[in-house]
Amino acid sequence: MSGEFTRPRFRLAPYVEVAKTAMTLEATYRFDVFSSVASVLVRIYILRTVWVALYTHNAAPANLPLHSILTYSTIAMLMSLVMDIDQTRALHNSLHDGSIVTDFTKPISVPLYFFANGTGEVLFHALLILPALAFALLIVHIDVPSAATLVTFFISFALGYCVGFCINFILNCTAFWTLETSAVQMIVTWITDLAGGELIPLVLFPAALQQVLIFLPFAAMFSTPLLIYIGEITPSHYLEAIGFQVLWLAVLAGISAVIWRRGVRRLVVQGG
Amino acid sequence: MTVPSRLQAMAGAYREYWRINILTTLEYRTNFLLWLGFTVVYHGTALVALWVILEAFPSMNGWNFREMAFLYALWMLAHAINNTFFSEVNNIPDYIHEGELDRFFVRPLDTLFQTITTPGQVFPDELILALTYFAAATWYSGVHVDLKFALFVPLIAFGGALIDLGINLFVATLAFWFIRVEALQWVVTQLEQEFTRYPISIYSRSVRLLLTFAFPFAFMNYYPATFLLHKPDLALALPPEAGLLTPLIGLAFVSIAYAFWRFGLNRYQGVGH
Repeated sequence: MSGEFTRPRFRLAPYVEVAKTAMTLEATYRFDVFSSVASVLVRIYILRTVWVALYTHNAAPANLPLHSILTYSTIAMLMSLVMDIDQTRALHNSLHDGSIVTDFTKPISVPLYFFANGTGEVLFHALLILPALAFALLIVHIDVPSAATLVTFFISFALGYCVGFCINFILNCTAFWTLETSAVQMIVTWITDLAGGELIPLVLFPAALQQVLIFLPFAAMFSTPLLIYIGEITPSHYLEAIGFQVLWLAVLAGISAVIWRRGVRRLVVQGG
Repeated sequence: MTVPSRLQAMAGAYREYWRINILTTLEYRTNFLLWLGFTVVYHGTALVALWVILEAFPSMNGWNFREMAFLYALWMLAHAINNTFFSEVNNIPDYIHEGELDRFFVRPLDTLFQTITTPGQVFPDELILALTYFAAATWYSGVHVDLKFALFVPLIAFGGALIDLGINLFVATLAFWFIRVEALQWVVTQLEQEFTRYPISIYSRSVRLLLTFAFPFAFMNYYPATFLLHKPDLALALPPEAGLLTPLIGLAFVSIAYAFWRFGLNRYQGVGH
């Protein structure tokens, strides 16, 4: 792509505009917003009921009292408001309808453009966490950890978000080669929910399975920040846990870059 | 048209519908395999989640994993029947918004029948999967299989599918009044799936009443499962035979949804789109 024209100097302003537009666009679908918040609240209610029923009729696991698991599940549900969004769907769509060609003529970095667009959508959904949290507090009691733990949790959550972004980006990049990506996308979503510990904390899994799952990128998305929040990962292990997330992020970002470059080359060949 | 000739026309259209579906599936084989993979993972992750929970906690209100596996099997069977035969109902909102519904009015067959038989890429893969899993779960849970079982299970599964169809039709009909119902469709599907996963006796009394009388998902699997597994109903203390009412509940529920659909349809013509 380069060589034919001089690349314009990097400016942040256009990306901010793109993010703002995406945010406004998301906000127009008020009914969707209402439904997704309502759905999260009902799911919090279901999870609370299920865990309470299980803890009433069985011996509680030693390392996970009821209040911890209720906190864990509620925070996981609130996180899913942000994590379950496919921020790079726009990439898939413009590859599908061919409008990616005009995206390339714009004086911006195309992957960053999609990142800005996705971030706008996500920021809007992040705002939804506040009302959802307010209502959730009517259903369950949530533990609040110390300030230091809370800060670490947010850092870990942000890293988990970036890992999720890379996974979505890679999946949507496969649209360079195949047409149908939504099935694969949904398969990965279901697996993430289970293997990432969103539905059930990984510490409750049978030991052998646990040993495998904690090393997968899905655990870096949900399990790590959540275990930090409830104090299952202690401050002495913070560095180790976050280091592991950074490692996964680096690996997945590397794969994203390679796939993107290959895909773009293929697109140019196809387009003539 | 007389009734027999109309039925004959419908049967012909229905045969053609399946012929096109199967040909389309054969044409897009990769697509088919991807969606089959999706179905397997969807049910697979749900069952693994149940297994993990009941490995850590052996009992959920007196239900063990084997019984919960059967509870899931009953829901999956009914849900698969609905997905195989009636899933096109979920496209009604698109037809309404893109003005395609109007095409159906000028044709001589029932509008709902036409929407249900609009060819897509439907293939009975989920139904085959559900039947296989149902057989396995029946054996695994040790349900007593006798003549009564063989007689009632198909009726219960079909009744459950009608409950599913009823709720989908109801939500789809809302598209006559609201522009976007996709999110609601997704939410309803998700909630149905979550509320049918566990014995409803774990919920508060008001939720049990809702799941029994307002959105009768409990009749898709909970009540029939308590009957077939000879378990007492701890939810509303209904007699075990309540589980056999599923086909009737299904018929009643789908009739109400159909009446609502007719109401929406008449209104739709009234505004003169």
